[in-house]
Amino acid sequence: MRLGTTISRTFVAMMALVAVAAIDAPARAQAPTTAPNPTADSVNEDLLFKQDPKIHGRISIPDQKAANLIQPQGREWRLFHEGWMPWIGAAAILGMIAALALFFFTRGRIKLEHSEESGRKILRFNGFERFTHWMTASCFVILALSGLNYIFGKRLLMPIIGPEAFATLAQWAKYSHVYLAWPFMLGIVFMFAVWLRDNIPNRIDWQWIKAGGGFIGKAHPHAERFNAGQKVVFWMVTGFGTAMGITGLMMLFPFYATDINGMQVMQGIHSLIGVVFIAAILAHIYIGSLGMEGAYDAMGSGKVDLAWARSHHDLWVEKEQAKTASGPQLRPHQAPAE
Amino acid sequence: MKAFVVAVICAVALGIAASYVLATSQRFAWQAFSTTSTRVSQPGTNLVGPRWTGDVKGPHDEVAGDPQSGKRS
Amino acid sequence: MARMKFLCDADRCIECNACVTACKNEHEVPWGINRRRVVTLNDGKPGERSVSMACMHCTDAPCASVCPVNCFYTTADAVVLHSKDLCIGCGYCFYACPFGAPQYPRVGNFGSRGKMDKCTYCTGGPEPDLSTIEYEKYGSNRLAEGKLPLCAEMCSTKALLAGDGEMIAQIYRERVIKRGYGSGAWGWKTAYRETVAI
Repeated sequence: MRLGTTISRTFVAMMALVAVAAIDAPARAQAPTTAPNPTADSVNEDLLFKQDPKIHGRISIPDQKAANLIQPQGREWRLFHEGWMPWIGAAAILGMIAALALFFFTRGRIKLEHSEESGRKILRFNGFERFTHWMTASCFVILALSGLNYIFGKRLLMPIIGPEAFATLAQWAKYSHVYLAWPFMLGIVFMFAVWLRDNIPNRIDWQWIKAGGGFIGKAHPHAERFNAGQKVVFWMVTGFGTAMGITGLMMLFPFYATDINGMQVMQGIHSLIGVVFIAAILAHIYIGSLGMEGAYDAMGSGKVDLAWARSHHDLWVEKEQAKTASGPQLRPHQAPAE
Repeated sequence: MKAFVVAVICAVALGIAASYVLATSQRFAWQAFSTTSTRVSQPGTNLVGPRWTGDVKGPHDEVAGDPQSGKRS
Repeated sequence: MARMKFLCDADRCIECNACVTACKNEHEVPWGINRRRVVTLNDGKPGERSVSMACMHCTDAPCASVCPVNCFYTTADAVVLHSKDLCIGCGYCFYACPFGAPQYPRVGNFGSRGKMDKCTYCTGGPEPDLSTIEYEKYGSNRLAEGKLPLCAEMCSTKALLAGDGEMIAQIYRERVIKRGYGSGAWGWKTAYRETVAI
């Protein structure tokens, strides 16, 4: 090739390269007019809360609970537990105590009515039934007190005994609560098994309710082994007891079956049903001890006065006596074996 | 009366039994959150700091509150 | 008096976990206890952001409110701390905390979940400042030495800011104005009931 051609071709190639390179020169010469905005695509808190009540993402550690970045329901649960529960609990329990006191001071103790059958005894609850009742009941008392300690302990007890003593007491209350819950649950199962048959509601219960159960006025409506009021107690105890058991188990094994919101709900149900349960049992304890003369013997020794049984559970007495043709199992003047 | 006493004794006994049974299924955070790639043994109490006295407790020494028969990976 | 806060600039966080590592190392935090963690939102998609989260030391802390033994207290710097001596390990503080800060040594709630542990803003606990017993229970106390929390000090991109609330809000504000974007102060509305106004 001739040198001139080579040089001019090289020159043309160079110009072409420069021209190509210069195409974007105008763009590079000026600064970009719009700044980059990565946040245009990004998520932000408000946007994410519109999509989901909790903000959660991906984490690199095994504990999946940590994937929740923000769960505002925590503050709501706090409002329920610290704002509502103490008032609900106080109203339920103090309200029940006030109602019972009012009943006692107006109606008074329901007295034993004497008849020719007074002094004779009939077996009402056998050993296993009494054992089950007392195991469940004694556990209930400790569970109730330790449970109420979670709500009221720091408000009522801590100012009296100081933080260190209270913390130790609360620790032991917690141990007793989680461990006595197991015999309690077992007792509920036993109770359901032995007493389900006698607690099926029927027409006689409706008549009993309409007659006020004998609480209002002095009527003596018919009743079988358990009257309508007692059947309510049975279903309440087994129903609430089961609910407390299930919610309690959820809290004993945290996050096994539920996420954080589920745990908050479990705790809310547990405390709410708990205080209602306690209030109702106070009424049960009242009627079984102070409220009605002769009632305690049923669970105390298992044997009740025949006149008492005839006036309050007449249909049951008839059925029992039909079983043992010789009448009541114990003769008068015979001391019941302890 | 007898039924009541027996019931209370049974309740306490069942509670204590429950505490032993449940303790076998209790897991420490360092056990529960170990994975196949991150296996840790008992972290021990070998916390140290600028004013450490030199009092050494190794990972396998007895520490109050830790189960002696707990799972060790 | 300073009101201490954390602010994680999600647009700078690169999920390097230096904050997590620093905290773990400084306080000898055992495996399974996550005082600080990094959560990645919208992972892999456009708009992915990572946020470093630990205890936010809330105003009107819900954990302190629900504790059945009132083991929490707030220092003069508005740092929320608790006493492991009083703690009964019931787990309520975790239900109340919007940020999942409380950590427990044991998984099952029989007896107790063990003493709750959480980010202390490198302020230790109720034991005497800079004592060995304080270190063993709560970790190091940097605030008593006039230092800021190590997680924020070690952040590789200065995404995680710790210090007086007004100051770090101002720093974040200046950043947002300068660069023209910001996904917000994550968690501030829930923790401090305020947002950083730009």
